[in-house]
Amino acid sequence: MLEAVHLTKRYASLPAVQDLSFSLRPGQVLGCLGPNGSGKSTTVKMLTGLLQPTRGTVQFDGHNIQEDLAAYRKLLGYVPEEPHLYPYLSGWEYLELIGTLRGMERAYLGKKIDSLLELFSLHPSRHATIGSYSKGMRQRILLIAAIMDDPEIFIFDEPLSGLDVTSALIFKNLVQALGHQGKLVFYCSHVLEVVEKICSDVLILRKGVVIAQDSVENIGHILGQSLENTFLHLVDDVDTMTVARDIVSVMKTKAA
Amino acid sequence: MIAEALDAVCNKWEVRRQRPFWRLVYLFAARVFRGGGDSDAEGLDLGIGLVLTLLAMPGGFVSILLLNKYGTFLQWLRGATNVDPLLVALPDEYFFIVLSMTVTGAVAVWRWDAIFPDRRDYMNLVPLPISTRTIFFANLVAVLFLVALVAFDVNAASCILFPMVVAATQSKFLFFVNFAVVHAIGVLLASVFAFFAVFSIIGLLMAVLPPRAFRRFSAYFRGVVVVCLVALLCTSFAVPQLLRRAPAPRWIALIPSCWFLGLCQSLRGRAGPVLTELSRLALPGLAIVASTALFTYVIGYRRHFVRIAEIADGSASARTRRTRRFGLLLDRLALRTPFHKAGFRFVGKTLLRSEAHRLVLTAVGGLALVLASQALMDAFDGGKSLRQAALSPDALSIPFILSFLIIVGLRVVFEIPAELRSNWIFQLMTDPDGQECTGLARRVILILVLPWLFIIAVPVYVYLEGWLIASLHTLLVVTWALLLTNIVLIRFRKIPFTCTLPLFKQHSFVTMLSGCFGFLIYAVSTPEFESSALAEPLRLLSLAPFALVLWYIPYYLGTSSTELERRLIFEESPTQTIEALRLGD
Repeated sequence: MLEAVHLTKRYASLPAVQDLSFSLRPGQVLGCLGPNGSGKSTTVKMLTGLLQPTRGTVQFDGHNIQEDLAAYRKLLGYVPEEPHLYPYLSGWEYLELIGTLRGMERAYLGKKIDSLLELFSLHPSRHATIGSYSKGMRQRILLIAAIMDDPEIFIFDEPLSGLDVTSALIFKNLVQALGHQGKLVFYCSHVLEVVEKICSDVLILRKGVVIAQDSVENIGHILGQSLENTFLHLVDDVDTMTVARDIVSVMKTKAA
Repeated sequence: MIAEALDAVCNKWEVRRQRPFWRLVYLFAARVFRGGGDSDAEGLDLGIGLVLTLLAMPGGFVSILLLNKYGTFLQWLRGATNVDPLLVALPDEYFFIVLSMTVTGAVAVWRWDAIFPDRRDYMNLVPLPISTRTIFFANLVAVLFLVALVAFDVNAASCILFPMVVAATQSKFLFFVNFAVVHAIGVLLASVFAFFAVFSIIGLLMAVLPPRAFRRFSAYFRGVVVVCLVALLCTSFAVPQLLRRAPAPRWIALIPSCWFLGLCQSLRGRAGPVLTELSRLALPGLAIVASTALFTYVIGYRRHFVRIAEIADGSASARTRRTRRFGLLLDRLALRTPFHKAGFRFVGKTLLRSEAHRLVLTAVGGLALVLASQALMDAFDGGKSLRQAALSPDALSIPFILSFLIIVGLRVVFEIPAELRSNWIFQLMTDPDGQECTGLARRVILILVLPWLFIIAVPVYVYLEGWLIASLHTLLVVTWALLLTNIVLIRFRKIPFTCTLPLFKQHSFVTMLSGCFGFLIYAVSTPEFESSALAEPLRLLSLAPFALVLWYIPYYLGTSSTELERRLIFEESPTQTIEALRLGD
């Protein structure tokens, strides 16, 4: 089980995340929602061990992950928000680099990479440099890199960004399949429909604080609304229709 | 009244500056200093101010160093009382011309990709209501502005300081003015020539080669240009002497820097027949190069920028069975851990494919080749036989020169980041306390250096001097390379290319000076000693204590450092004199 225990992160004196606690059980797909600046990315970075919390701990099976980060990361598959990859490596070379760094056996590494590239429709461009890939292709490379070593924990930060419809559908089914296999999945996204569809539980953050945490059904039932309306109700006091009308009127403004 | 007029001019300028054309010019000029190409490289983006300062520094430093030569007191001490400053200044003026050409040419090579609008410009600008002709002219104006700026900046310090130094012994101010004006004309024109020459090469390649081939071979051509620039810089050691010989060799007319030296001397009325003849080539040469640059630029622009959407990006070729076998062999022999295997491949591919790294390494390699070939020529000086030449200090120094510069060059290149934002994968995957970085860097250096040393040293010396001498020479070179590798990797705790650029520290100057001193010991004194010791090989044993000390120092520093000092880093942080405990957090 993965647990965040009273996690707090401050940048200088500005709090990004405050006293965040939750747990992630095997088979659970936990969606993390929140507007920009709510602390989602900071939470993800602390869960991956890329950032050290100012206070609190991340624990896996009862042990602080900082005690043996290397062992913890061996169990982790991570897709970051931005697809920052080495543009001069080809897709195949990048995956080989990841596989080798993860200590995967060379005997089956190449075959596994080829199979996954084929399944993600990247095989024909496997020898093209990543610099020439579209955003969706880069995202697929990141997804393959995260799953190729069959880790126990998955942390996805906006994994669908840039993916075409087919790849997105494949991925959504994949996440559900991972949940059924007993993997731990932490899924950060802005796309409420996806979270509603594929996550079993949801965590809503606002200004670094958890404002709601429950199963997707329960959160909707509490307010008797869809997840989208619940989210808007909890997070933003903004009349979206009014804002849209204001934008149109600003667009029409001409120089005096 | 004046204030109003000034305000009006300022307003007019501001309005003009905000026009689309001038905004584009500004965009194209700025991108030359702020990275370019399609990648989001952050590695060598140093900012306009710092780049201009760095470019101006060599001319300033060299001028100041020349004070020693032109100081009247020192001349008097040397017994040189009746010195003709114009005659004495000839080699130095040649050096400044060559220096300005090299630095300006290097800027053009460095920003090769940023000179022409690229895919990113295409994607951002073409959807806007701007004609491609406007984009073309804006880029052209930006390039011309850049030429003027770089030429002025590179030579600014030398145009003032060098004439001041030369005219220090003269009582007439007019002498200073005359010298300064002529010197400025010479070096500025030489700079412009170098820039346009490199620009012509890019344009010519763009015009001749298909887009994919251009992108593929561009790096190799850049490497060749860098080597040529380094070789041009090295001509400053020999050309002034050759020009003073009564019949100067005819091939000297092929070196453009000589044309501009001839021009300077002609303008001063001090040119002999050779220099007069060379001076006649300067302006036509400049005109030809400039018009070629413009012509090829037009064709290149039409062929590449206008059709950029139709051109697919380059692709890396699939690995051949041979490279795969080579990789497996390396894995078995030298790269045992997954980190070493992955790291070696990453470093190798970065060195081969990242332009900034390749350029720096090519420049170092070019310098190494130039120095090595100079040593080879010196070895045959005085009509020595092949066997005598092979045992001369000059010939013996060749592998030392090559290994020193490549080892130090690689160490420097490791510090240059590549796609820094992509290093998250190493932060995520590597054990910060694993302490495998030094091992990886050492393996990379030795794998890239040792095979060449064996190829150069063993067959030549076995053929010329027999197995004993060949073995001793190779053993010495390899031992020295191993020791140097250990020394340059003292307290190295990064994965190459994944950390921010090192900060300038107080001891950086000392490190640079130690590098120069180290070169003298490594590549000059050692071969001299070796040359005399090979006659009695047992004498080589006297180097053993020295080698032992050199091995022990890095070993001691490695074992005595704390765990925190050995921890893997991805960001260079300044040394803090006071550290806040942040107990409130």
